[in-house]
Amino acid sequence: MAEVKYLSEHYHKKEYRTLAGYKANGGYEQLARALKMDKQKIIDEVKASGLRGRGGAGFPTGVKWGFLPNNGEPRYLLCNADESEPGTFKDRVMMEKAPHQLIEGMIISAYAVGAKKAYIYIRGEYMGPAMILEDAIREARDAGYIGKNILGSGVDVELDLYLGAGAYICGEETGLISSLEGYKGQPKLKPPFPAVQGYLKKPTIVNNVETLAAVVNIIRDGGAGYRKYGTEKSAGTKLFSLSGNVQKPGTYEVPLGYPLMDFINIECGGLLPGRKLKAVVPGGSSAPVLTAAECADATLDYENMAAKGSMLGSGAIIVIDDSYCMVDVLSTITHFYHHESCGQCTPCREGTGWIEKIIHSITHGEGKPGDVDLLLKISDQMKGRTICALSDAAALPVLSFVTKFRDEFEYFIREKKSKVKGTQIYAQMHPSLGGAH
Amino acid sequence: MADNTTHSNTGRAGTEPTEAKPVEAPKMLKAKINGVDVEVKAGTSIIEAFHQNGQSIAHYCWHPGLSVAGVCRLCMVEIEGNPRLQIACNTAVTEGMVVNNASEKVKEAVKWGLDFHLINHPLDCPICDQAGECGLQDQYMAYGKYDPEMAERKVKKHKVVDLGPRVVLDTERCILCSRCVRFTDEVSKSNELGIFNRGDRAEIGTFDGKPLNNNYSTNVVDICPVGALTSKDFRFRQRVWFLREHNTICTGCSTGCNTRAFYNKEGVFRIKPNYHKDVNGYWMCDVGRDVYKFANKEARLLDARVRGEWMVPSLAAKKTGEALRGGGNKVAFVVTGQYTNEEYDALLGFAKNEVGTSNVFHWINNPETIEAFDGLLLRGDRNPNTRGLMDRLASSSLSAKWPELVQGLTSGAITTVVVAGPENQSQFPDLKAKIMELSKAAKLVWLQAGKNDQLEALDGDVTLIPLKTYLEKDGTFVNYKGIAQTVKKGLSIVPASLSITEVVELMRGAPAVEAPSDVDQVGVGRIYNEFTLVRGNL
Repeated sequence: MAEVKYLSEHYHKKEYRTLAGYKANGGYEQLARALKMDKQKIIDEVKASGLRGRGGAGFPTGVKWGFLPNNGEPRYLLCNADESEPGTFKDRVMMEKAPHQLIEGMIISAYAVGAKKAYIYIRGEYMGPAMILEDAIREARDAGYIGKNILGSGVDVELDLYLGAGAYICGEETGLISSLEGYKGQPKLKPPFPAVQGYLKKPTIVNNVETLAAVVNIIRDGGAGYRKYGTEKSAGTKLFSLSGNVQKPGTYEVPLGYPLMDFINIECGGLLPGRKLKAVVPGGSSAPVLTAAECADATLDYENMAAKGSMLGSGAIIVIDDSYCMVDVLSTITHFYHHESCGQCTPCREGTGWIEKIIHSITHGEGKPGDVDLLLKISDQMKGRTICALSDAAALPVLSFVTKFRDEFEYFIREKKSKVKGTQIYAQMHPSLGGAH
Repeated sequence: MADNTTHSNTGRAGTEPTEAKPVEAPKMLKAKINGVDVEVKAGTSIIEAFHQNGQSIAHYCWHPGLSVAGVCRLCMVEIEGNPRLQIACNTAVTEGMVVNNASEKVKEAVKWGLDFHLINHPLDCPICDQAGECGLQDQYMAYGKYDPEMAERKVKKHKVVDLGPRVVLDTERCILCSRCVRFTDEVSKSNELGIFNRGDRAEIGTFDGKPLNNNYSTNVVDICPVGALTSKDFRFRQRVWFLREHNTICTGCSTGCNTRAFYNKEGVFRIKPNYHKDVNGYWMCDVGRDVYKFANKEARLLDARVRGEWMVPSLAAKKTGEALRGGGNKVAFVVTGQYTNEEYDALLGFAKNEVGTSNVFHWINNPETIEAFDGLLLRGDRNPNTRGLMDRLASSSLSAKWPELVQGLTSGAITTVVVAGPENQSQFPDLKAKIMELSKAAKLVWLQAGKNDQLEALDGDVTLIPLKTYLEKDGTFVNYKGIAQTVKKGLSIVPASLSITEVVELMRGAPAVEAPSDVDQVGVGRIYNEFTLVRGNL
């Protein structure tokens, strides 16, 4: 068993979500220490820790903080809790089990980057975690951890929770900023980048829940201490949320660099009896799929996943066994991206719908001979052509599914039925397409 | 070509200045566009550099008068050293940049960008008003020409959406470039339009009970690169390839927007703005859009009318001249601000020298609101050349006060009145009253382009002489700022009509004036098709 309890050390304790329980287990001690530290020292520690953004892109957090311009403008720290990548549910666990851990991490980070105001942007569907966080923020404010002159240090940080309306695109950092500003949640053109002109056109840092929570441990153990886990380029531990055809799906914390198959077989209890592994989507639905053969030597870290042409993403692992039709799986994924495209950039707005319609036709036995190549062409032209990465996120699974499981797609088009299931599949469709749903 | 095809980076409303302080001498950057060395000001975007140097680049959402949206993804360029294609509208030129939009990679990207625009487009060009001047058609001919591969059902959206009094929307034709939304946000600042829903279900729309109803609404039709927004005034009237263009100046108010009139033998059909940096930028108002209707044949006085009898205008002018010459102060001239400097010079010269009168009165159509200004373009002074007239009256010291005229008419000191009446009668709310007042004169000579039933019904010694409109003559207007702008004769709608200069020449005894032969004859008049009559304006 290589599962570690580093961030999630006390998650099994029910009282940990309350202020009293959190403090009884060492909570807010790091805040008191951090407020006595020099701001730059905190940033240096985070840089030294090698912590990389846990939301999906894996950008080094300390470097991101360093982008803020020194122009005397007010700064903002935003926590991205709009966890909406299909398959991801680790932030939810963190917010439900340890809301104060996030708050402590945020206050420390806000102090380090010089933000007097911080927001947690939480997705609309997370009503439960939002209520828990609301309670925790109230407790923390009453106890003097949020507000003016925190713990007598002279540092002011205000923290508020903002509930989104449930759009995937609001998890994109500039989409999140637009939504928080009260506009339609649509990504903004870059440049200017949020670190220069973000929320209310002021310098802004947007970090994931897990990233900000990890700052507490970095303060406790120091940058070097944090590196006790993980690999050279992927330091520390990470919470992975595994779903799909395994015995024990759920969220587990392991050090980065942990073998993928061990994670599936040991932590998650292996596949269901009699089933064989077919494919794994390693980093949320937008990550290119890995075949069973590619999984054999895969490790859960940024560099290994990148070498395999996929990505660690948000750490959402979706296991697909041999009882599933890949055309069906892709149909669900493309439906999601079609539904969630914000509609701003043409390639994404039109391409996501086009792809879904083609796959819908295939699953209904109406596929045409050139459809497989057309899918590849469309996705290829959607990649890297838009303001944000949603278009890429929609294109990458199509490219990887169609390339790696081409026989299943071609069989479906030729035989008008699934190679695996032997029938047509009545996939969900958006009502506007007039299809079965 | 019209001025507004040369794009400039000035007048970009809504964009925040990128530099905090203005630099004294703008720093110039050297770059290479499609192999040509260019030099542009620091801060210029690649797309602006393309336009400034006469290079063409595909684009829909970018407009020089609006902020950058960067959503159509068509202005893709390849920048040396950057593996990814970049959009030219949101990328600034840097020193030594080598950029092209001619490589196969770019062409392929633009072709696909275009295909994405077209897959859900209804392709109803045969019944679309934009056909012939449509961005989709133009770019397809330049970058497309492929066999479409889209074989799935298209998205269905709303058709014939009545956005407001002047504009109709077809959301299926819309490519969601957001130009119209940005226009109402940044220029008219009326914020009526928005994009509702998301993904390929997104549609332009208005909020319930808040129609697109501002005085600049038709600009969204101009900037719409496709046939999604159409003008109720122009819909289904003409195919654009049957129209010719004539660059002119708007006479709707004292701003003097640069415009172009679209016409064919049936008449003038619409007005669109031309770019002018100092006068109107890229825009014009909806009031100005109607400044063609009075010029069309059906609204015109076609012949001179003397004592209730129709007469050839040049003959009527000659006869009038004989009666007026040497009339002294018994003759009064009433002048509106609707005519050119040259016409004023001729008329005032004639009044002073040949007639020998000092009674010249300035008819101000709306003295209460003349100083009004809507903050963008439209001014309360609804005359194109009030300033030119005032300058001329002042320099020839001919100006008299209106009450003197009323007094003169009552006392009989003034027996003859010559009126250079309104060309655009709809902007003269006091027209009826003034006709009543001036018809007290024993002899009334009224020069005017448009027909007016009240004038034609007057008894007694009344002479009506048909004038040319601003589209049919050469001349100069001076706008409120003092900018003198010239109009040229571009077409002839009523061939027998005269300019005031010509009237004066004839009154002075010239044998004849030259008939307009070197311009397009627009004399047929409007042929209404059945569809317009049944369908009405929408």
